[in-house]
Amino acid sequence: MSSILLALPSKGRLYEQMNKFFESSGIILKRSGGQRTYSGFIKGIEKIEIIYLSASEISSELLKGNIHMGITGIDLIEEGKTTASKEVILLSRLGFGKANVVIAVPDHWIDVENIKDLSEVSSEFRSYNNRRMRVATKFSNITRNFFQRNGINNYRLVDSAGATEGAPAAGSSEIIVDITETGQTIEANNLKVLEDGVMLKSEVCIFSSANDIWRDIDLKPVEKFLRIISARSEALGNAELLFDYMKEDRDLEINLFREFNSSFVNGSPNIGESVSLITPISMVPSCTYYLTRRGYGPVRTNRPEFIYNQESNSWNLLKNSINCM
Amino acid sequence: MIEETNKIIDSLGGTTALAKLLNVNLSAVSNYRKKGFPDRLHYKIATLCNEKGINIDGKIFGGLSKNLPAIDTRPLEILSDISIKVIENLTEDDFELIDPPVLVSADNVLDRLGENIADKLYIFSDPAGSRLCLRPDLTIPTCIHYLSNGFDGVKKNYAYYGKVFQFQNPSSNEPNEFSQAGLEIIGGESCVENEIEVFYRTYKSIKQSGIKNFKIIFGDVSLFSILIDVLDIPIIWKDQLKTKFWNDKNFKILLEELTIKKRINNQLFKKISSLDNDTAEIFVRDTIGLLENQSPIGRSIREITQRLIKKSQEIKTDPLPKITANLIKEFLSISDKPLQAIKKLKAVSKNIDSRLNLQIDSMSARIEMMIDLKVDLENSILSLEKGRMVEYYTGFLFDFNSNNLKNSQNIAGGGRYDDLINSVSDKNDIPAVGAAINLDRLEKIISLEKLA
Repeated sequence: MSSILLALPSKGRLYEQMNKFFESSGIILKRSGGQRTYSGFIKGIEKIEIIYLSASEISSELLKGNIHMGITGIDLIEEGKTTASKEVILLSRLGFGKANVVIAVPDHWIDVENIKDLSEVSSEFRSYNNRRMRVATKFSNITRNFFQRNGINNYRLVDSAGATEGAPAAGSSEIIVDITETGQTIEANNLKVLEDGVMLKSEVCIFSSANDIWRDIDLKPVEKFLRIISARSEALGNAELLFDYMKEDRDLEINLFREFNSSFVNGSPNIGESVSLITPISMVPSCTYYLTRRGYGPVRTNRPEFIYNQESNSWNLLKNSINCM
Repeated sequence: MIEETNKIIDSLGGTTALAKLLNVNLSAVSNYRKKGFPDRLHYKIATLCNEKGINIDGKIFGGLSKNLPAIDTRPLEILSDISIKVIENLTEDDFELIDPPVLVSADNVLDRLGENIADKLYIFSDPAGSRLCLRPDLTIPTCIHYLSNGFDGVKKNYAYYGKVFQFQNPSSNEPNEFSQAGLEIIGGESCVENEIEVFYRTYKSIKQSGIKNFKIIFGDVSLFSILIDVLDIPIIWKDQLKTKFWNDKNFKILLEELTIKKRINNQLFKKISSLDNDTAEIFVRDTIGLLENQSPIGRSIREITQRLIKKSQEIKTDPLPKITANLIKEFLSISDKPLQAIKKLKAVSKNIDSRLNLQIDSMSARIEMMIDLKVDLENSILSLEKGRMVEYYTGFLFDFNSNNLKNSQNIAGGGRYDDLINSVSDKNDIPAVGAAINLDRLEKIISLEKLA
């Protein structure tokens, strides 16, 4: 039986963030040979062979179906997709490298607030200037697909290797499509992101290739690896709320789920029990407010290190995709 | 010259034999003995001589080397009989056979066809750093041929054939390179006669290729734009409707939106609507925060001001009446046999500005000319939707599809694109009408028909 190829980013911030993630998950990565080699393994998990590549190579190898799994950004996967691509499955979000691919226009364009405005301006631009409006970007595919869906056709893409935000001021494009964490660089360059101009919310994830390379593979080690990964990534996005269930409230469980996407670890609570509620971090303030208003408290919050569910989402996703082949 | 012609007729077996080979009357061959071979036969005769190992003097064909430059680049024997026949039909009389470039500027192609074709193109850089692509069709290269010969508006009749390159989804089993033959009339007048010339040559080529089942779909995208032009609605809506025309889904959404009263509470629009043009520009300049001599990034003050003015007028306008929206929908839904479709068109446009009726009359004129030319219109339709999928044609257009129930494939298509020259050069619009036939597919379908 052959081993599983797992591609990991080889350098840069992505490499550091990923190492931090694995360290906190208790997964120890080892390089075969010295620190400078580009292959490795996971301590204690056999048959998973690590290869270190650049994030964009990882995306293209996944899309070609040459590797079993890889860690890279959603943006690179979406950008790399072509009609010839193999299916790639998002197994788990890893909670870092969050950034948006956005459309930004010069803030001088006081008449343009949203995509509908941009669509109108792009066709007017062509009649005024006798050429198509230029869009500087390194995300040609994402831009093309998004513009097509939104009925913008009077434009031309200009390849931009770096410093895309500078293109409009330099006169090499009118608008840009770029990836940004905070939007600060975009604002600093006298550009503004359109109201509905977020084309893609990206994040670093672990992906698998849905391809027949999975045939004749021993899946045991992957299951172990993926269970740890999902437990850790689930824990990263959630907080644990602890309080005493001192007051009967039949609607509490369903309301917490509906409004705050939160659920009790041990199922429906009984009067007098100390309960543990798992809540998405972004919901913690509103959820704790809701609970205290309802007469529960004190509510303590914890950041769990791992949340192991009986079913691991990412393992199920992988299992199902292999069964479908 | 005549002596040489007679020699060739004799070497090919004499009058009767050649008449059989060429599938013409005896009297035709006798005529060749007196007048020499007509241009359109040069190709065929050259092939025949080649097959029989007869060494021919290039001079005998007079125009051969002038009219058929491609004979040097693509040996005749690799072309099939069907292809040769198609090319003969296209080049007959005064259509000059040209050999346009295979490598074209990627920017030219993308400017012309839009970014959506990019995933079908083979784009690469040459060592000098220019971004080039393999030609995805022969229309743009033919234009480049026209321009590089220094022509600017003078009428040229071109025919061509050769390989074109379009990346296809590997699972589709369609070839990434295939042969096209076609023709273009560039320059001269933008008239119905040229359109029919192009159409009829294409029709004749296909008809005589031996394909049995095919249908023709006609359209004219200028009918829609004229309808919108003559409707009594704000200019900004006209622009929007024309822009979204190319995408049916977005068009329907827009049409729906326009019929609903909008509540836009935009201070800029309100303010601008009370100003005249000059003060509006000063207002816009101040709002942006520009100094006297500064221009905004990417667009001019005038562009931004004019759009704000148009937007402010749009807010003041009542929503698009349902009856107008329905008229547009009804208009676009017309699809029928050509004569019936024209009847319906006339009924729908009865009370509308006469400019639209002039355009409908042109369509009638085309159909009448086709009937005069004995074009079989039994299997054809005229559809107002035709041409919406690709933003390419500016007026009359047509498609030939194989008429097989299982899969109806496109074998040829063409039409008018008067903005073609403009989109690949800095020249103004020059009338252009053309058509192309997918030779590989035509042959495939003919052989499938023979099997069936």
